[in-house]
Amino acid sequence: MTMDCKSVMEILGAWLDGEIGARESEAIRFHLESCASCRAAKLRLERVEESLSAAVKAQASDVSWPQFWSGVERRIREESERRERLWSWLRPGSYLRRLAWAVPLAVVCLLVILLAEQYFFRWRLGPNLSSVAAVESIDGHGFNLALFGEDETNTTLIWLFLDEEEDEPSAEVPVADTTF
Amino acid sequence: MHEKFKRLGFILPRVANKSVDSSVKKEQKVVVDLSDRELVRKCQAGNLEAFQGLVAKYYQRVLMVVLGIVRDRDDAMEVAQEVFYKAYSRIRHFRGRSTFYTWLYRIAVNQCIDFRRRQKREPAESNEGMDEVPDEHGRNPSDVIESAEFLKRLYAAMESLTPEHKAVIVLRAVEGLSYKEISSILGCSEGTVMSRLHYARKRLQEKLAPYL
Ligand SMILES: [Zn+2]
Repeated sequence: MTMDCKSVMEILGAWLDGEIGARESEAIRFHLESCASCRAAKLRLERVEESLSAAVKAQASDVSWPQFWSGVERRIREESERRERLWSWLRPGSYLRRLAWAVPLAVVCLLVILLAEQYFFRWRLGPNLSSVAAVESIDGHGFNLALFGEDETNTTLIWLFLDEEEDEPSAEVPVADTTF
Repeated sequence: MHEKFKRLGFILPRVANKSVDSSVKKEQKVVVDLSDRELVRKCQAGNLEAFQGLVAKYYQRVLMVVLGIVRDRDDAMEVAQEVFYKAYSRIRHFRGRSTFYTWLYRIAVNQCIDFRRRQKREPAESNEGMDEVPDEHGRNPSDVIESAEFLKRLYAAMESLTPEHKAVIVLRAVEGLSYKEISSILGCSEGTVMSRLHYARKRLQEKLAPYL
C-alpha cells in the first residue's frame, strides 16, 4: 500500500492520535521516511498542540487548590442556604406567624383589585356603561323580532310581533322573558 | 485540608505524562475509576468530603479544558467552579454508565459552550490585529514557538474556531482522550470527532503558518 502526500495529510492527525488501522499506519510511516515535506507537516502539527497543551497546563497549575475550592464551596453553601430558607418558609411550625401577615395582606390585595377594576373600567369604557341596556331588532316582512338586553340584572327580553302595516302596533306580545 | 484527603485515600492530581507507555496509562485509569466510583457513591449519600476529593482530583484537568475553550483566566475559573457546582447538584443523577470524568467533562464542555454563547450576545472585545503578519523576521522559529508572542498568535488562532471545534482539540491534544471518549463527551459519532479535529487542525495550521 502506497500513499501520496495528499492522502497522508488527510489522516496525519488521526495517525498521530493512534486512531488509524495497522495497514494505513504502516503506509504513512513508509511515506514519511521518504517525504521531507510531510515530515515537516507532522512536526508543525505536533508543535502547535504541544504549545497549546503546555500553555493551558501552565495556566491551570497557577491556580491553587484553596483558591479553587473556596469558589466551589461558596456556590454549594449559597445553594444550601437558599434551600434552607425555602424549607423554613414551608415548615408547618411557622404557619401561624405567617398567617398574621397573610390576612391583612390578602385584604389589601382584594381592595387594590376592586379599586383598580373600577377605575380601569371608568377610564376605558366611559361612565357607568354596565347599567346601559341595549335594544336590537330584526325587521322581517311583517314578522319582527326585538331583543332587549340589560346587563345589571342579566335580563334579556325577546319580543316577537307581527307588523300589519297599521298605524298602531296592536299585536305587540311579549313572547319570552329569559334570564341567562 | 491535606489531612482530610489522606484520610479519604487519594493523592492530589498530577498532570498525566504524555510519554507514559499506554499499558501503564490503562492500569492507572482502572485504579482511578475504582476510587472514583467509591467517591461518587459517598457523594450520592451526601458526603461533602468525598465530593471535595473528586474536585481535588479533577480541578486542574477541568481547568485545562475550560482554559482551552474560554480564553480568559478569570472567566475560566468561574466556569470551572460552576462545572463542579453543577456536578455536585446533579451527582444523584449520575448512573455510572460512563466514567465519572467523562461525565464531568461533558458538563464542562456544555458549560463552556453556554458561556461562549452568552458572551457572544454581549459586545465582545475585538481580537483584530492578532492575525497580522508578525514582526519577528530574522528570529529563529524555534525561539518564537515558546515565546509569549507565539502563544498570543496561538490563542488568536484558537479564537477563530467554534467552541465545539476548540473542545475536540483540547480534549485530544491536552487531555489525550480517545475519539471514543470524546464522542461520548460531546454526544456525537467518532466520525464527527475525526472530521472536527481534522478541520480544527487545518484551520490552526493555516492561521499559524507564518509563525511555524
Ligand atoms: Zn509527502
